[in-house]
Amino acid sequence: MAYETFYSDLVCIGAGLAGERVAVEAAAAGFKTILLSLVPPRRSHSCAAEGGMQAALGNCAMGEGDSPDVHFADTVKGSDWGCDQECARIFADTAPVAVREAGHWGMPWNRVEAGKALCFKGGVCFEVDEKPEKQGLITARAFGGTAKWRTCYTSDGTGHTLLYTLDNKVTELGITVHDRVEAVSLIHDGETCQGLVARCLKTGALRVYLAKAVLIATGGYGKLYSETTNTVINEGGGQIVALDTGLVPFGNPEAVQFHPTGVVPTNILVTEGCRGDGGTLLDVNQERFMHIYEPEKAELASRDVVSRWMMHHIREGHGVPSPYGPHLWLDIRHLGEKHITTRLREVYDTCRHFLGVDPITQLIPVRPCHHYSMGGVRINKDGYAYGLKGLFSAGESACWDMHGFNRLGGNSLAETIVAGRHIGRQLVEYLKGAEATLRTDLARQAVAKDEARIKRIIAGSDGKESVYEVRNAMQQVMMEGVGIFRNGTDLQKAVDDLQVIYARSKKVGLKSSGIGANPELAMAIKISGMLRLALCVAYGALQRTESRGAHAREDYPARNDRDWLTRTLAYWRDENGDLPQLEYEPATKVFHLPPGDRGYGKCEIICREEMSE
Amino acid sequence: MASIDTAIYVKPPSRASAYLDWLQMLTGAGLIAFMWSHMVLVASVNLGVNVMNTIAHFFEATYMAQVGGPLIGATMLFHFILAARKIPFTTGEQGSIWRHAKMLHHQDTWMWVVQAVTAMIILIMGSVHLWTVLTDLPITAAKSAARIQGGFWMLFYLILLPMVELHVGIGFYRIGVKWGFVKADGRKKFKRSENILTAIMIFIGLVTIIRFATLAI
Amino acid sequence: MSRQLKFNIFRYNPQDPASVPHADTFLLEETPSLTLFIALNKLREEQDPSLMFDFACRMAICGSCGMVINGRPGLACRTLTSDLPAEITLMPLPVFKLVGDLSVDTGTWFRATNSKIESWIHTDQEFDPGAAEERMENALAESIFELERCIECGCCVASCGTANMREDFVGAFALNRMARFIMDPRDKRKDADYFEVVGTDQGIFGCMGLLACEDVCPRSIPLQDQLGLLRRKMGFIALKSIFKRKG
Repeated sequence: MAYETFYSDLVCIGAGLAGERVAVEAAAAGFKTILLSLVPPRRSHSCAAEGGMQAALGNCAMGEGDSPDVHFADTVKGSDWGCDQECARIFADTAPVAVREAGHWGMPWNRVEAGKALCFKGGVCFEVDEKPEKQGLITARAFGGTAKWRTCYTSDGTGHTLLYTLDNKVTELGITVHDRVEAVSLIHDGETCQGLVARCLKTGALRVYLAKAVLIATGGYGKLYSETTNTVINEGGGQIVALDTGLVPFGNPEAVQFHPTGVVPTNILVTEGCRGDGGTLLDVNQERFMHIYEPEKAELASRDVVSRWMMHHIREGHGVPSPYGPHLWLDIRHLGEKHITTRLREVYDTCRHFLGVDPITQLIPVRPCHHYSMGGVRINKDGYAYGLKGLFSAGESACWDMHGFNRLGGNSLAETIVAGRHIGRQLVEYLKGAEATLRTDLARQAVAKDEARIKRIIAGSDGKESVYEVRNAMQQVMMEGVGIFRNGTDLQKAVDDLQVIYARSKKVGLKSSGIGANPELAMAIKISGMLRLALCVAYGALQRTESRGAHAREDYPARNDRDWLTRTLAYWRDENGDLPQLEYEPATKVFHLPPGDRGYGKCEIICREEMSE
Repeated sequence: MASIDTAIYVKPPSRASAYLDWLQMLTGAGLIAFMWSHMVLVASVNLGVNVMNTIAHFFEATYMAQVGGPLIGATMLFHFILAARKIPFTTGEQGSIWRHAKMLHHQDTWMWVVQAVTAMIILIMGSVHLWTVLTDLPITAAKSAARIQGGFWMLFYLILLPMVELHVGIGFYRIGVKWGFVKADGRKKFKRSENILTAIMIFIGLVTIIRFATLAI
Repeated sequence: MSRQLKFNIFRYNPQDPASVPHADTFLLEETPSLTLFIALNKLREEQDPSLMFDFACRMAICGSCGMVINGRPGLACRTLTSDLPAEITLMPLPVFKLVGDLSVDTGTWFRATNSKIESWIHTDQEFDPGAAEERMENALAESIFELERCIECGCCVASCGTANMREDFVGAFALNRMARFIMDPRDKRKDADYFEVVGTDQGIFGCMGLLACEDVCPRSIPLQDQLGLLRRKMGFIALKSIFKRKG
């Protein structure tokens, strides 16, 4: 058993925005850092973020009077009070600095152009007068669930541009990048994380990384669902290796976001910026409907609310029939050719290439589909994972938890570099005090265990289940039972079905040889881990008998602050079991903003008992 | 910074590539201008034997042919050497560019292959032509006609003519797009005009050859 | 009436001593709006699970799925089979090292090249977290974004005659990237610094002007114009230095 070993101060699993931002902080402080990534870092899912990132700069006319306080309040309301308010506070305060810093590194943010300009809201035209003294400062656009125009952007390629800017910084600092590497398991002694076993996706060989600190920044777990805007690599690799330790909890697994405007049938995202810039949603009669359900915010309520109303409207029979099931229309025609081809360029390209639709003259078919994972590796406000020293997480892979049960548009991109910056600094402090006692014996044991498992999969020693059939079965169950609207019966069935599929996943055997960078083997190695995640999501949702944010229970429609102002912590302690152990902690230790009405998304609230102030 | 090498090569800044690229372009442009003027001179026979003889005489009387001729030859050779920096000579490189062109189905790439191939042919045939003409001054319509009517030279010029015109036409197009004189939105039109121009030049050339072939000596 | 599609796919697994480069043929029933992304995944899941190829975003913005489709480098995810004949030949991108079948290692190549051309903002200015941002005209930000839209898919490099012949040529992507930095006032590099990086035969003067890059770029980046601009700029920087030396 020969394997290569790499030593480092910090190893980041995942080199999207969050991973790279942390790496930049560590490398700039002089620590040896290795970035691992499934794909070349610039191909990470961060590049798919379109519309922008929220930061209370207050430069544009419609953002006047904005401040981190307002941003904080929007974020907490958006989370339906499920977030950790300490984190949300750190986040809102740091976001403007992070935006400017990215600008300093070369990010071409769109800027304020002084003078009068025509804008749209809900299909109605109005005039905005940008002040001359703000000319050339970073501007912002409207997004859902925000009191001000706060979303900073470069056209609708904000994630792409930000990722390239940050990767340029990584290149400048000469940070080591190993791309096409997949984490298989964490190496730890029950207390401290020592590193990880990984598989090279170029050669198929296992290798070991030993480090003082390990960061998980692998993004979300969208591929548990079949209809998702997520890339094919968002399979929850980071959450799997953390959960598999049996020590680190998976926070709020059931908090899963559905985006209102996935394109039918390909589930490609069209940015919320479309609605932010004045686009409207239309039904089969090509009439607006959101203003009926949400008189105040209309199309620009938070994503969970808009998605639910859209599905509701379709259920009421107002959907547009199509071979791919009923959908609704997104209308951006009135924004005009210039706006669409400059500020909504990706949308323009996507519609033409994948749908054959010209959004300047035609309607875009949309339907809510899976989009974001609010849950993840549970960390404290400084990024330390619960349960294992030396393990950190940041970005979508983490449950930091500033999003609670619903993330606002523009807050994910912001979280990557804001949390990355903050957690990176805390990690540097940790590294300064950490002495390495790297255990090569643990590494050897871990590799031996993983290698034995891989050999059994290749040989089909445990069975000959097809990995793709198992995955498809899981995705179908998740779509049907753990979707936008949930109820006890369906969730119970989903859990039962997933348990059966989980058993099948342990009997997966390869059809191909498994030699080299074999893709079937890569999927087979993680499939049972993906099912453990799916079970956490479904079981967590089943147990949470209330509706909060994106978690909407038809049998428990009220938000229950009395019993459920909590965060789910799912542990997988029993390697041979087929259900997680759920524990709960208070959603937040401090209340800057006591639970109340969000101002959109009609919902009954069961109040908590009076707290002594 | 994390990646400072303890030892690096210190390379003196070199502008050679830039100068050579300028020279390649300028010699190319000069030769294009010459070839088109040359065509006008030779084709003038179609207007009448005396027209051509008069023009030819003018160039000789002013010694432009005697001095200019060898100069053109030298420029041609110089241009070849400059451009040869980009032409594949090893079999490995030739193999890759040939495979590449066959794979790509891309007109501009094929045009470049044509340029490279015609360059070789022109280098040889052009030199022969230059030598023949310049060692037998003065240039007269009658002498040219006699050569063409010999038969071998007819074939020689029927090959050389399209080679030169293709090379010159494509070269003209290439300079335009490569140096940004022609922008992306004008490229298609420019290419079409260049193709038409080349076709016209070849046509005039053919007419001229026929004229020589049928000229009563 | 749906067509029967015939795929000829390049196969080679360098890690398998028994494997030799060859082409495999697969048949697939065409369905409405079928893309190569869907088709290749079907082939992998239903016919040959060892088939190697790369996809990530499946919406033409990550640049993973560059491959040679019937002779032309392009993004597989946004290629509709309805735009192709019934016989489809797929090859890995040339120039880059092969991982296996249709998968090539673009990551290492691009990282090395980005490092070589120093693709980052060079400035002495420290970031001041307390200060307002430096101002910039929106039009300039939009022009920078226009060039920054490159997704490093490798199609321009794979279709480049020079890059196919000479390993050290940086390719249109890098020249476009330099044009982006030259345009950006935040980058304090001087003309001579830029010239050192791209004023060579590995840079702009290695470009032979075949413009396949312009014609295959899936992002429609104005490569032809940027290359022309860069050639003139670098050319004039060199000319100026003659006069400077004399003076």
